[in-house]
Amino acid sequence: MNLTRRQFIASLGSAGLFYAFRFTPGIGTQTGSFEAPLAPPDESVCLDTPLEIDYTDWIAFGPGDKVTIFTGRTELGQGLKTVLTAIVTQGLEISQENLTVVLGDTDLCPDDGVTSGSSSTQTVGWGFWLACLKIRGDVVIRASRFLSIPVEELEFRQGGVGLKGEANLLVNPAELGHGEVSFMDIDPKAEKSGKTYTDLKIPNVNAEAIVTGSLTYVGDIKKDGMLYAGWATPPYHTRLTTLKSADLSAVRALPGVKSAEVVQGMIAVIGERYSDVLKGLDLVQATWSVPSRPKEMPLEEARADATLIAVKEQQGDINAGLAASDLVVSETYTTQYIAHAQLETDISLAKMENGGDKVTVWVSTQYAAKAKELIAAYLKIPHSSVRVIAQPAGGAFGGKQANPVNPEAARLARLVKAPVKLIYSRKDQFQIRSHFKAAGIIEVTSGVSSAGKILARKVDFYQDVADGTKYTYDIPHVLVKAYRDTNWPISAAATRGTSYVQTCFATESHIDSLAHRLGIDPLEFRRKNILSQALVKVLDTCAEMIGYDNNDLEQDEGIGLGIIVHGAAQLGAAAAKVAVDRTSGKITVKHVCAAFDIGTVINQNTALVGLRGGIAWGIGFILSEEVKLNGHRVETEYFSQYKIPRFSDIPPIDIVFLDNYAPGTGPRGCGEMPVIPTLCAIANAIYNAVGVRFYSTPITPDKVKKALGSI
Amino acid sequence: MAKKDLTLNVNGSLRQVTAELDEPLLWILRDDLGLTGTKFGCGSGECGACSVLIDGEVYRSCRVPVAYAAMGQKIVTIEGIGSVGNLSALQRAFVDHTAFCCGYCTPGMIITATALLGKNPHPSREEIIAAMDHNLCRCGSYLNIIEAIEAAAEAS
Repeated sequence: MNLTRRQFIASLGSAGLFYAFRFTPGIGTQTGSFEAPLAPPDESVCLDTPLEIDYTDWIAFGPGDKVTIFTGRTELGQGLKTVLTAIVTQGLEISQENLTVVLGDTDLCPDDGVTSGSSSTQTVGWGFWLACLKIRGDVVIRASRFLSIPVEELEFRQGGVGLKGEANLLVNPAELGHGEVSFMDIDPKAEKSGKTYTDLKIPNVNAEAIVTGSLTYVGDIKKDGMLYAGWATPPYHTRLTTLKSADLSAVRALPGVKSAEVVQGMIAVIGERYSDVLKGLDLVQATWSVPSRPKEMPLEEARADATLIAVKEQQGDINAGLAASDLVVSETYTTQYIAHAQLETDISLAKMENGGDKVTVWVSTQYAAKAKELIAAYLKIPHSSVRVIAQPAGGAFGGKQANPVNPEAARLARLVKAPVKLIYSRKDQFQIRSHFKAAGIIEVTSGVSSAGKILARKVDFYQDVADGTKYTYDIPHVLVKAYRDTNWPISAAATRGTSYVQTCFATESHIDSLAHRLGIDPLEFRRKNILSQALVKVLDTCAEMIGYDNNDLEQDEGIGLGIIVHGAAQLGAAAAKVAVDRTSGKITVKHVCAAFDIGTVINQNTALVGLRGGIAWGIGFILSEEVKLNGHRVETEYFSQYKIPRFSDIPPIDIVFLDNYAPGTGPRGCGEMPVIPTLCAIANAIYNAVGVRFYSTPITPDKVKKALGSI
Repeated sequence: MAKKDLTLNVNGSLRQVTAELDEPLLWILRDDLGLTGTKFGCGSGECGACSVLIDGEVYRSCRVPVAYAAMGQKIVTIEGIGSVGNLSALQRAFVDHTAFCCGYCTPGMIITATALLGKNPHPSREEIIAAMDHNLCRCGSYLNIIEAIEAAAEAS
């Protein structure tokens, strides 16, 4: 396999002290006690075992005052590097200048999971904090032996060890080791940290590079002899068609084109410059098989052909619950295909090394270790022959967990025996990568008592993974099922906001619908039915911020609410005020107030900009974004067609952090949480503004004009 | 198309390139001149990530044939606005207000905002939004960007 610990330490070029830590039994999912002591200083883990152990992260001390931390997670713009810097500099009391953070280099970093689900701060980040605290104690023990001074007389401070009460340091951690590794298990629930983390609001550590255009993304890297590559877009969706014939003679005759190849049923053009590739692609002559599916492919077909893939939630007896209800309401909601639309299109740079024995691939990814696996498998080469180096991503949002561009670039580099930078154009991103949050049909049926208690709720979800209804409302009888037409050509992607965006649009709209039918205010109705008091507090905070009870609403203005529980422990709510223009159909979001109970905020700068961004995503989902398909192909190509929110779409936003749910237990992450409550609040606000509920997203001006015109 | 020798005035320096006349300026900047701060986001002029200044006006370099920019105009890229350790006031404001997440749109944002403040040193929020509205930010950092521009305007 891979680098052993001994090789890894040797590669760092220094004798020093190394710690590897992991969580046990598991973050936030299990409770348990933890008894195993820290490894005594003169025992070490075998240096010849492989570097990669699941969920292990590394801290290396040395040479001198330098500290290096290693994680397989990647910087996507969520501020991970800043969060880790804030945590480790504070935990070890060292300066930023002395800290190096290594992200997503598979020759150096462990596989500690995919960067997704708003989980990295909560798991890897907090893991480093707890590890630092343990390390402080361990280093003092080592120093005590090294200096022959009793432990009680020493303390860890400023990155090293000194006598209590004296200012100077006697020894730094690197001097206390000779390349051995201490392996630590950490149970975050059992750890009682003597030191409380304080958010010092450090600036984003990439800030100066970003604002000067000097942060290096994959596309900014150049290698000698590097060629560009691009794919020809089939006229039909790649999963519905096969290449029958290709005439690439005109392409190959073009100066600047190095190669035109058919690679696994797709046509690649490789050229000296990207413009040579584009010119070559224009000259491709090919015939493709015509899909047998009908040209129009309404979602209803998906429902007809769908089979049950999972029972997501089951509690009580749904039929009994509905039978016992005073009012039963059934509604059907539909949602659209959503694209990640990150500004940096899929791009990958691959270079064969050692005469073709190895390949290095510079990638933009959420999961470097997975990219390595995919490349090795695709090229049919040993895992150890692949090195993946993750650069900061220009946005990912769930779309770069296993992106094919990486193995494709490696394949082309091997084919043409030169470094290849493969670029997906914006059109390719829609039409070839074609990886979207799946459109869905959600059927919700709830039974309520006349007093306003929800007794039963049934959700049937077609075409995506339904989830996210747990931990929110206290409903005794629940049945949630997900169905999929497994022949559907569009693969369902993880996207920011989580896979339960669609479900929650339906269920939160449905909650308001129930409230209105019962004649109960939607805020009051939620209070009666929400599961946890901490969530009620979050919701009440939003309502108060927006002036729910005393907002001066003009004609065709309304306020709406939405809540979310992400995982089990990230609580969020939003209140939105909208104005509806009956003539143009335009919905203007006038104000969004949001509250989040997410535990310790590690870095407010990165948290707030990320939360505001999540709110923007919610606005885009509910009002304007939609990938259009015609049954044979994706029709959307450009940003002018796929309308993501712009400056003029963003209202004033107020955000408050609460810490009532589980205070003192560290951070719980938040990057994608605002999407759902924002979009739900807007949907509900529209109803309150004009008395019309929209059951399909996005709620475009055309849909609004059509609905209001009929009144 | 045959390649021609062209002279470009970029960030105050004259640079010689040999290129096809219709090559987009974006790729000349990135590949031939090593100025990778200007980004490729869509290639169709719709996202603003490739924005540069040409004689003080904002252009989408992915849509400007290099020949059109080689006629004595002054081209300014993000590298000409400031550098690490020597930021412009606007860049400093972007840092102070965390006016980015992934940073990919940021050079384009700063170019467009620099042009705005050059013409209108104290714009209203509405004027900022109108001037910036064709620069896209998928991460959604818009409010922070507005706040940074306002702060830079106020400090000037």
